[in-house]
Amino acid sequence: MTRSRTLLIGCTFAAVVVALGLSAHALDQAAKTADMVNAPRFEVEPMWPRPLPNNWLLGQAIGIGVDSKDNLWIVHRPDILTPNEVGQDQKPPLAECCRAAPPVLAFDQAGNVIHSWGGPGQGYTWPGSNHGIFVDHKGFVWIGGNGNTDSHVLKFTQDGKFVAQYGTPGQGATRASNATDRFGRVAKIFVDPRANEAYLADGYLNRRVAVLDGDTGAVKRYWGAYGNKPDDGDQTPYDPDGPLIKQFRTPVHCADLSNDNLVYVCDRVNNRIQVFTADGKFVKETQIAKRTGGDGSIWDVAFSKDPKQTYLYVADGKNERIYVLLRDTLEVLTAFGGGGRQPGQFFAVHSIVTDLRGNIFTTETYEGRRIQKFTFRGVGQVPRDQGVVWPKK
Amino acid sequence: MQRFTGVLLAALVGLALAPSQSAPAYQVDPLWPKPLQTGWILGSVTGVAVDAQDRIWIVHRGADSLTARTENGLGTNPPTAEYCCKAAPSVLAFDIDGNLVASWGGPGQGYDWPKTPGGLTIDPKGNVFIAAAGWPEPPGAGRGGRGGGRGGDPAAAAAPAPPPPPPTHDAHILKFSPKGEFLQQFGKPGASEGSASKTAFNRPSDVAFDAAANELYVADGYGNRRIVVLDAATGAYKRHWGAYGAPPDDATMPAYDPAAPAAKQFRTAGCVAIARDNIVYVCDRQNNRIQSFRKDGTFVKEAVLAKDTRGNGAVWDIAFSHDPQQRFMFVADGQSHRIRIVQRDTMTEVGTIGGGGRWPGAFNAPGSVAVDSRGNLYTGETFEGKRVQKFTPRR
Repeated sequence: MTRSRTLLIGCTFAAVVVALGLSAHALDQAAKTADMVNAPRFEVEPMWPRPLPNNWLLGQAIGIGVDSKDNLWIVHRPDILTPNEVGQDQKPPLAECCRAAPPVLAFDQAGNVIHSWGGPGQGYTWPGSNHGIFVDHKGFVWIGGNGNTDSHVLKFTQDGKFVAQYGTPGQGATRASNATDRFGRVAKIFVDPRANEAYLADGYLNRRVAVLDGDTGAVKRYWGAYGNKPDDGDQTPYDPDGPLIKQFRTPVHCADLSNDNLVYVCDRVNNRIQVFTADGKFVKETQIAKRTGGDGSIWDVAFSKDPKQTYLYVADGKNERIYVLLRDTLEVLTAFGGGGRQPGQFFAVHSIVTDLRGNIFTTETYEGRRIQKFTFRGVGQVPRDQGVVWPKK
Repeated sequence: MQRFTGVLLAALVGLALAPSQSAPAYQVDPLWPKPLQTGWILGSVTGVAVDAQDRIWIVHRGADSLTARTENGLGTNPPTAEYCCKAAPSVLAFDIDGNLVASWGGPGQGYDWPKTPGGLTIDPKGNVFIAAAGWPEPPGAGRGGRGGGRGGDPAAAAAPAPPPPPPTHDAHILKFSPKGEFLQQFGKPGASEGSASKTAFNRPSDVAFDAAANELYVADGYGNRRIVVLDAATGAYKRHWGAYGAPPDDATMPAYDPAAPAAKQFRTAGCVAIARDNIVYVCDRQNNRIQSFRKDGTFVKEAVLAKDTRGNGAVWDIAFSHDPQQRFMFVADGQSHRIRIVQRDTMTEVGTIGGGGRWPGAFNAPGSVAVDSRGNLYTGETFEGKRVQKFTPRR
């Protein structure tokens, strides 16, 4: 079985190489007549990951990270699953399937589950609603939370042993964007390996980016939109035809640092990305799909894997697509995806990460509840709107 | 060469496994059907059927089953999204390669579009019969099933409350041409005359067409507890029966208990299907059993599958294998999220396909199943599955 599978994979790889050679030529031809653009190309892997063990189901998949060994880490919400879905977990059981998977799962590149843990334990407060996961340069796993009372972040070993809790849990009811002893429903964490600092997208309650010492959790600095001091005053609803407001709206949904020390912040409901220096000086901003209402268009970002991080990938869980931007100019080059439950489609694509080889992985929240892999196929000509990026049949 | 790649890919993706040597084995085709036009998504799929030309027809709940805030951004007024999504038309047909070949459905002149569709069937001329199976029904109520409630979507809790249910429930069957032209309606919404009625249904869940006799079989259904047979041309009542071929009884039944004696009535007549040898199979969904009958309603035998299943039950829909003898039945189990393969002569389970999940070959509430002339298997997922999937025989 293993041997024939390996053989098949080898054959498939060879076939793909030939197929790509052919399609590259075809694409060159098409580029002359259609609205094409040079950009990284991706192809969904419909059968990645492998079926989960133990009849496990995912709840809302609400964060994704990658470790130094190129394993993929996700955090999801098993408590959201209904008895209809997790019939085996009911007493008495309702059905022969299924069970809720533990909230933290790690997958190897082959799509096998290699770690599974999470939940309440001694010495820390598990989030009321976990949100965001990051594996830092020391191998620690960070987790945020956007539950009604979540106002802290957690740090674990890769085996799930509790390491540290930063912020004061249970304070998530009151907005306090200038507090240094607690956070406000943190959406995402990004740790800078060079300065050993953790950038918090803070969050679903607060309106800021907060930067912590990576070892002590002490708040070193924080800022709001345009680098302003965060203001917790009233805001009018988002109006695509109105002036851009001077504060972040909640949620502040990502804060990722590039290799050249720029911080990219997802101001989700304002449909905008703001860019800062590492010390919080505003650099520039852009809006994408600015007429988007509801949950907004800017859910998460990831950088391309080339040393210059030429491209920025933006997950839009409202319009169900991934935008590919030129990071330097923030120009949207192309987009792929689309709504639906089939491979390469999305329902609420929430989180995005690139692995060490430049492949994209996404997770979906709400009723999407998947992790998907998009294999990097090099830079080449693609249409401005790609739709689903399926393997060629 | 590219085609070769696709074949190899399909070979790698096998998901369906049968424990028995005698059971047919399948593998999912992860890239079927082809993507719908930009922005279109499926709601909860309640019916799947294959016509004489091997076109695959589905009916789904559309916007009624989409969460306005998170899924229906192009379908709300004003829209809240720029690119996605809104409900595709309720009835879609695909060719065997997954190309969309028909799309229609929805309210129109002269008929009552279902509040929630149930199953559908196609007659030899290609006309489409659709059971109208919906509302009023409290969401998550035990009798949900293929045409039923959402299955407790937690995201819906945060969304604005849906409009109050209208005062009438579905109680009719609709017939359309392949192009979607309205042809006939049997029954009226709101009717509720009980399981002995010769004029009214009560939330029929499924339909099957008997070309030899030009009769339409109705699984009736969520409200009533019987199979009703109509003259397919006129809709005139011909006969009906309940579990074990006995007269149906609408008296209150206790909740299903696997330790209790078998119920003498259908708990939910969730599907009806007619084999080539003229045996009629009925899904008694929440009793976890299949009962078979002759066409005149004489009881033949029964089989219980996954007896300990509670909730929505284990037996949601039935399709037959494509071999001349129809040796196997494929039974959709939307509660354990799998297709059960049952040997038809012994009524014993010989294998399963699938399991819970959102990836290709996994299921969330597979409530519908159909087979084409080449033996390909198609499934429809209701609740939050909202997909149609294709499984090809593994050689």
